[in-house]
Amino acid sequence: MSGYRTAPATNAREAAEWSTGRIIQTNLRAVLGRAYPRIIGLTREPSWLFFEIFLPFLAVSAFVFVYRALDAPEAFIGFVVLGGAMTAFWLNVVWMMAAQFYWEKDQGNLELYFTAPMHLMSVLAGMAIGGLVMTSSRALAVIGIGSVLFGVSYDIQQPFLLAGVFLLTMIPLYGMGMLFASLFLLWGREAFHLAQLLQEPIYFLGGVNFPLGALPGAVVGVVMATLPLGVGLDAMRQLAFAESGVDGVLPVGLEIAILVAMGILFLVAARLALGYLEHLARREGRLTLRWQ
Amino acid sequence: MAVITERPTQGSVRGITLADAWRSFRTAIGLGWAIEANWSDPFLFAVYTMAKPLAAAMILVVMFQVITGGQNTEFLQFLIVGSALWNVVFGVLGGLVQSILEDRERYRMLKYVVVTPSSLFPFLLGRSLARVAISLIAVVLTLGVGIIFLGVELRPDLLILVPASIIGILAVMSLGIFMAGWCLQLRQEAEHYPEAIAGAIYLISGAIFPIDILPGFLHPIAYASPTTWWLEASRRGLLGHGSPGALGGLSDGLVMLFLVASTAIAVPVALTAFAWFMKRARQAGLLDMTTGS
Repeated sequence: MSGYRTAPATNAREAAEWSTGRIIQTNLRAVLGRAYPRIIGLTREPSWLFFEIFLPFLAVSAFVFVYRALDAPEAFIGFVVLGGAMTAFWLNVVWMMAAQFYWEKDQGNLELYFTAPMHLMSVLAGMAIGGLVMTSSRALAVIGIGSVLFGVSYDIQQPFLLAGVFLLTMIPLYGMGMLFASLFLLWGREAFHLAQLLQEPIYFLGGVNFPLGALPGAVVGVVMATLPLGVGLDAMRQLAFAESGVDGVLPVGLEIAILVAMGILFLVAARLALGYLEHLARREGRLTLRWQ
Repeated sequence: MAVITERPTQGSVRGITLADAWRSFRTAIGLGWAIEANWSDPFLFAVYTMAKPLAAAMILVVMFQVITGGQNTEFLQFLIVGSALWNVVFGVLGGLVQSILEDRERYRMLKYVVVTPSSLFPFLLGRSLARVAISLIAVVLTLGVGIIFLGVELRPDLLILVPASIIGILAVMSLGIFMAGWCLQLRQEAEHYPEAIAGAIYLISGAIFPIDILPGFLHPIAYASPTTWWLEASRRGLLGHGSPGALGGLSDGLVMLFLVASTAIAVPVALTAFAWFMKRARQAGLLDMTTGS
């Protein structure tokens, strides 16, 4: 049953002319509709809950035990736990944002997206919001369980700033996912390999399990300019472990500015990439072929 | 309805011969490679294949450098060898399970393979071999980087290394075969199980830290796992010495004995379980089930 309360059109031209209000309403419905399965999936798919907490937690445990074997300072255990929680978001971005359009194409949904009267950015925004809510529960569980089991002690002097940095990190992170969604689709069959490529190498470059400053200066420079996961994690570590004695790469204020710039850049780039993708889809019709 | 009027003479319906199995195996290798490489650009494929294991090893190397400042090279060697060899476990487990799931869910070919006169078993082994081969490349590559750039010194003892590798890979394959059969039974999320199981074994096998660090209640599981003994025997075969901690104090003979004993239990259990899982899959109609995994 349709929820629209507009008067029936008398001809095709009238039906095609939508008011701004109706366009916004339709796109908002698309955002909610795409976010809904990810949020409701929290309660309907308990096995997801298990795997998305259990798998990052296994990795976190392994790295914690490595640090224990090396007699590392306790702050490093906290670094790993926080890094493990952020890994959950990164995995969500890679597999459920970047690769999502490719899976949708395989399942035959993508052509429905192209023909539906909404902007594709609304679908991506819905995926991002749903994914963010879904993954937050996993990340909180990893932090909670990891902190209790491994006795992590935090030294948070500016909790609101920490929360703000976290939210600021999510904008470029999911913006990057939106951009990759278009690119993965364009690169076709390489999608699976690309998603694989964006795991361990990014954990390494993003300093997920060690302070980012441990990497060579040139590498850190590239990371600070391109990878929101690395920038956000470095800022959050400075705020969550203020007395750890491990310096961040840059002052928190500067890292916040970088995150803001990245957020704008990735969202604009995602918008442009989607436009190009839509153009290709209509011109070539190739983007709806399975396994291509 | 068709009526068979001619009774088959004895010998006209034969079981699978070794030649048939070899043909299935060979064909499946080609198919597996084509799917795994996904008909992609060879250069790009090589980059994807190399970047993941190298990055995994480099994470450990940086962690080691940050804490020790490059001291205690024995531990670094322990890390590099464990990290390199673990690619085999991911490759075998992932290869066997993903092969059977992809053929059932994505390509929808599993039921056709099962109803052919050929056996599923050689097909499955061949189909998964591409991932195993890629994992072996990752092992060589990680060790190579360790030797060239990180000063890892290999002192190979072939008398330990060769049997340890053969028996160890047999043990890992048995685990993969068990998982492949088990994942056929699952309603959903089957593709995550190999990762979860491999991750759990990674934790208890002493791949990147001595098992003494584990909580006490996990020690019996660690000692029962053939992967623990395979890694320990392989380290001795590659480095000329064992792990730091309790395992390192055991004699080579005892380590090999535990490897053989645990593998001798794992292999028949896995094969029996796989046969039972396949029988159940046929009876319950699971061979063409799609779960969205």
